[in-house]
Amino acid sequence: MSDPDLATPFRERASRALGDAFLKEALTIATTKFITLRQEAFGDYPEGEELRDRARAIKEATLQHLDQHLERLIDNVERRGGHVHYANTAEDARRIVLDIARRSGARLAVKSKSMATEEIHLNEALEAAGVTPIETDLGEYIIQLAHERPSHIIAPAIHKTKGQVAELFARELKRETRPDPEMLTRIAREELREKFLQADLGITGANFAVAETGTVVLVTNEGNGRMATSLPRVHVAVMGVEKVVPSMTDLAVFLAILAKSATGQKLSVYTSLVDGPRRSGELEGPEEFHLVLLDNGRIKQIAGTLREALYCLRCGACLNVCPVYRQIGGHAYGYTYPGPIGILLTAMLEGPESVKDLAHASSLCGACADACPVRIDIPRMLIELRKEVVERRIAPWPERVVFGAFGWLLRHPALYRLSAPIARLLQRPFARGGRIPRLPLFFSDWTRTRDLPVVAARTFQERWAERERRR
Amino acid sequence: MTSRAEFLGRIRAEMARTPGLFPATPSVRPARPRERLDVLRRELSERWAESLARFVGEFERVGGVFHRVARVAEVSDVIAAIAAEREMRKVVSWHPDALRLDLAGPLSGRGLEISTMPGGEVTAAERERLRGVAAAAELGVTGVDLAVAETGTLVVVSGAGRPRSTSLLPACHAAVFDRDVLVESLAQAGLVLEAWHEGSAADARGAAINFITGPSRTADIELTLTRGVHGPKEVHAVFVEDGLVGGARG
Repeated sequence: MSDPDLATPFRERASRALGDAFLKEALTIATTKFITLRQEAFGDYPEGEELRDRARAIKEATLQHLDQHLERLIDNVERRGGHVHYANTAEDARRIVLDIARRSGARLAVKSKSMATEEIHLNEALEAAGVTPIETDLGEYIIQLAHERPSHIIAPAIHKTKGQVAELFARELKRETRPDPEMLTRIAREELREKFLQADLGITGANFAVAETGTVVLVTNEGNGRMATSLPRVHVAVMGVEKVVPSMTDLAVFLAILAKSATGQKLSVYTSLVDGPRRSGELEGPEEFHLVLLDNGRIKQIAGTLREALYCLRCGACLNVCPVYRQIGGHAYGYTYPGPIGILLTAMLEGPESVKDLAHASSLCGACADACPVRIDIPRMLIELRKEVVERRIAPWPERVVFGAFGWLLRHPALYRLSAPIARLLQRPFARGGRIPRLPLFFSDWTRTRDLPVVAARTFQERWAERERRR
Repeated sequence: MTSRAEFLGRIRAEMARTPGLFPATPSVRPARPRERLDVLRRELSERWAESLARFVGEFERVGGVFHRVARVAEVSDVIAAIAAEREMRKVVSWHPDALRLDLAGPLSGRGLEISTMPGGEVTAAERERLRGVAAAAELGVTGVDLAVAETGTLVVVSGAGRPRSTSLLPACHAAVFDRDVLVESLAQAGLVLEAWHEGSAADARGAAINFITGPSRTADIELTLTRGVHGPKEVHAVFVEDGLVGGARG
C-alpha cells in the first residue's frame, strides 16, 4: 500500500525535505536530544550492554520456536475469554477489525498509538465503514487533525511547530489559544477525555505479548493505552506475530532497555499488562477482548534475508542516529516506517521493488546497528537488499548495464589493462581540473551530486609494471 | 478467514526452511516463582531502607512527590493536606480492604467529599455511575502492589475494590504503600510478575496490571515536556513506616 506522495521519486521527496529549513532544524534538535538522552540512560546503567545481548538472544530464541510460543499465547488468551484472529494481509486485518466494530455496533473508536494499525491503514477503512477513529497519542492526534502521517516512530509530530499546532486546533477544534505546549496539551486532554468516555471501541497495538500468560503489554507515556484498554466496551489489539515473548522474566529484560533506547527514560510512564476482558468484581475493562495476529509479509522473512528485522522493538533509536534520517526526516521515505529499520520493514511489507531507491538511502556507517537495543545488523541487510534489487532486475537498466560491464571487465585482466588508455581518451572532453563534473546522457545522474575522478595519467598497474621492468 | 491451523502451518513451513541465526535460548524461568519470591522478600526485608532511598530518588526524578509518615493513622492528614493545598474537594478511593486503610471517616470530617469504591461485583448501571464519579473526582487514592526502586515505579493491580480509574482519571493520584511491596530492580519485578501468574493466581484478580512511573507526560509538541496529558498531572507516594497492616512492626 503506498502513500499518494510516492508519485514523486524518492530523490525529489528527499530534496524537497532538504529544502525545508524548519524541518531541518526541528530534526537536528529532536534527534540530537534523543541521542543524548539515550546515551545518558545507558551510561547510568552498566548492566545495559549485557541486557541488550540477552534481549537479542530472546528474540532469536523466540523466532526459533515461534509456532510454539504463538500456540501458548493463543491458548492463554482464549482461556481468559479473549478471541484471537489471524490476518495474512493488511486487508485481512482491516476486515477483521471492521467485523468486530460492526458486530458490536461501534460508532466511535479511540486508538492508542500503534505502528501496526498505521501499517494496515486502518483509519481510512474505519471511516469508510462509518466508524470514527480518534488517535489519542498527542502527536498522532495532531497529525490526524492535519491529515498527515507520522514522521518519527515515537515522535510522530516532530515536524510541526507549536504555532502550526495552535493554528490547527483553532481551525479543526474551534479552540483558540496562544502557541504554548502546555495550553495545547490541556485542550487535547479535554477534547480527548470526552472521546475516551464515549468510545465503544478501543484499538491498540502491542509492544509485547507474553506467551506463558496470554498478556498483552502496552507502553505509553501519556496514559492513552490505559484509557483505551479500560474504558471502551470492546478492546482490539493488533500485533505483528514477532511481538510475542515467552515469559514475564523475558519481558522484564525488554522493559529495562526499551524506554532507555527510545526516550532515555528508565521506564516509560505507563507499562500496562492486560490479561483479556474485564473480570468479575472489576469496575472497568472491556466486555470483549480481541487479539489480531498480523502476518503482512513477516512470516515469509522467518526464512528470508530480513529475518533479523523481526527482532525490532520499534524504539526509533536507529532513526535518531542515522545521518540520512537526520537530514530528510520521516516523510521523505514515503512509507509507514521511516529510517534505517524502516527501509527493511518496507521491503518486508511491500516487497523489494518498493525500496529500489530507499535501499541506497544509507551511508552504511553502522550507527544504526550500534544504537539498536537488540543489535540488529541493519547495514548487512541493506547490502543484501541492494544485491536483491540488482539481481531481480529491479534496478534501472543503465545502472545494471554499467555495473555489469564493469564487473565483466574486472574478471578479464587483459581487457581491464587495455581499458585505462581507452578511458583516458574518452574522458578528455569532460575532464575539468582532474575531475569530471558532468557526464552525458543517462550517466548524468551519477554526476548530479558528485564529481567523478578522472582516470590517472598513469594507473597504479602501469606504474607497477614499469617498476618491475626497471628492476 | 484464515484458521489458526492454516496460519500456524505457514509459520511452521517457513521455520522448517531455515536454521536459526545463532544458537539462542530465552530467559530461564523460576520453577516455583512464589517460593523464590518468598525467599527474595525475606532478603529484601533486611535492606528495605536502601531500597526505599533509591525508590525516593528515582520517584522524585520522574516528577513524583514523596511523603513519609510513621503510622497509618497519619495517612489521612497527608491526603487532606494534598487536597487542601490544591483546593480539591472530590476524592475517590479504593475499597478499604484493598487499600488496607479506611479514609472515609477521617476525610469526610474535613470537608472532603469522598467516594469509596465497592469491594465486589455491581450492576452495569452502577458501574457506569461510578465511572462518572471517578471522572469527576480531583484526587484518587490507591494502594500499591509493588514499588520498583530502580525506576521509581508504582505498580497497581486491578480487581474488586481496586478500579483502574482511581489511578487514571483524577488529575491527582496518591498511592499509599509500605516496605513490604518494595523490590530493587526490574528483574525482581519480573519474578513478581511470574509469581502473580503462577497456576490460577491470575484468575483471582483483575485483568490489568499497571506500572506507573511518574505523572502522565508528553513531549510531542516541540519536545517540550508537559505533564498530565491523559492520566494524572501529579503522582504522590505516601510511605507508612509502621506498615499498613496492624501497624505494629518489630
